[in-house]
Amino acid sequence: MNRADDIHSLADEEVMRLVQEGNPRAFELLYDRHGGASFSLAYRMVGNRVTAEDVSQEAFLSIWRSKARYRPDRGSVRTWVLGIVHHRAIDALRRNLVHERRRSSAEGIEERHEAPERERTDVEAARREDARHVREAIAGLPEEQTRVIELAYFGGFSHSQIAEMLQMPIGTVKGRMRLGLEKLRKGLAEKVG
Amino acid sequence: MSVERHELLQEDVGAYVLGALDDSELRRFEAHLEECPVCADEAERLRPAAQALPRSVTPVAPPAALKRSLLATVDAEARERAGLSPRRPRPLARVADRLRTAGSSLGNLRPGMALAGACVVLLAGVATGAAGLYAIDNATESKQPRAVSRTIVAKVDKTRVPLGSGSLALPADHENGAVLRVHGLRPLEVGSVYQVWVRRRGEIISQSLFTVGEDGDGAAAVTDDLKGADAVQVTREQAGGAKAPSENSILTVPL
Repeated sequence: MNRADDIHSLADEEVMRLVQEGNPRAFELLYDRHGGASFSLAYRMVGNRVTAEDVSQEAFLSIWRSKARYRPDRGSVRTWVLGIVHHRAIDALRRNLVHERRRSSAEGIEERHEAPERERTDVEAARREDARHVREAIAGLPEEQTRVIELAYFGGFSHSQIAEMLQMPIGTVKGRMRLGLEKLRKGLAEKVG
Repeated sequence: MSVERHELLQEDVGAYVLGALDDSELRRFEAHLEECPVCADEAERLRPAAQALPRSVTPVAPPAALKRSLLATVDAEARERAGLSPRRPRPLARVADRLRTAGSSLGNLRPGMALAGACVVLLAGVATGAAGLYAIDNATESKQPRAVSRTIVAKVDKTRVPLGSGSLALPADHENGAVLRVHGLRPLEVGSVYQVWVRRRGEIISQSLFTVGEDGDGAAAVTDDLKGADAVQVTREQAGGAKAPSENSILTVPL
């Protein structure tokens, strides 16, 4: 196959192989496919565009420099990329690089743009549908479980910090996280089942 | 496994999957996972729920300067690796973009002061990056995969499984068969399964049946020796499997 001609038709796993071989065009394609979701996650977590840029840049450069190796047996490329972004954003949050943290809320995010990934319409439609399923599953959780899960995942807070913020025992926070994730898992299964 | 230890730590699994344990607790829980299959199973079961969270995020378009900056760095490094003289990116270009567009207080400073501020930003980024790499390397390299000689990426019928992807890991010794891993396949309704086939010189041979998790991930064994085979294929069939494929394959690994 002529990679230069067909690169856009490659599956993510093959694109990643080319990236790890040092192919800049494959890296650009990887960014085009997942850069939007990565920036969106970083922005959701750190709450400002400048730090979100830093987080996204660090994440993608670590991928390019092969500091983070993709392993197909651990999930999809998208999940892996977003996991790296999540790690970076937590690093940023915990190092207090963000002075005005957005505390796990989407409030104030006014910018809604077209889907940034340059993908075919059917892929975009499937992603939108998937996002709707996940939001519905999250909406199905009791408020107190959603709160601790979002504070942990999007806010980058440890369970002990959350317990202090919400003035509740650590055991309660841990229990709500565990119960909430279990309900979310079941909710997602019902949505796609 | 100590029952007392399990009872003490089992409640940590949610915080663990969400990345919300403190460092010392994380080390303690990861040590516990090595010896407690119950907690390890629960962590694996809950992980897809945590991994689904970023898919709920409202899309926000990244600034064009981010892509320009990344590609400039990547192109320069690729040229260096190839032994060509690099066209070095201007490292302050993105910072300068910010100063113009982000309303930063540095934007009101004289150029020299703004440059000094920009350098501080860059140094902070370098420091953050170094520390971050350690965590990612630890997270991704904690378990070594079985040695494989090569991995072949599957071709997917995107009209039927638009988010699907997959790959076949061929072990160094072909005698032990291969493992097919898939991502982004829809969990099938009750009474249906995915079926793996090997195509060899016009003959098609059933290999195994599998289902996928809520996250669309799944894996299946390919039991035949693949020497001389043309492809590994996947179709959707009724529970129990079919004697011959009832549809064109949704996923094909050419060999």
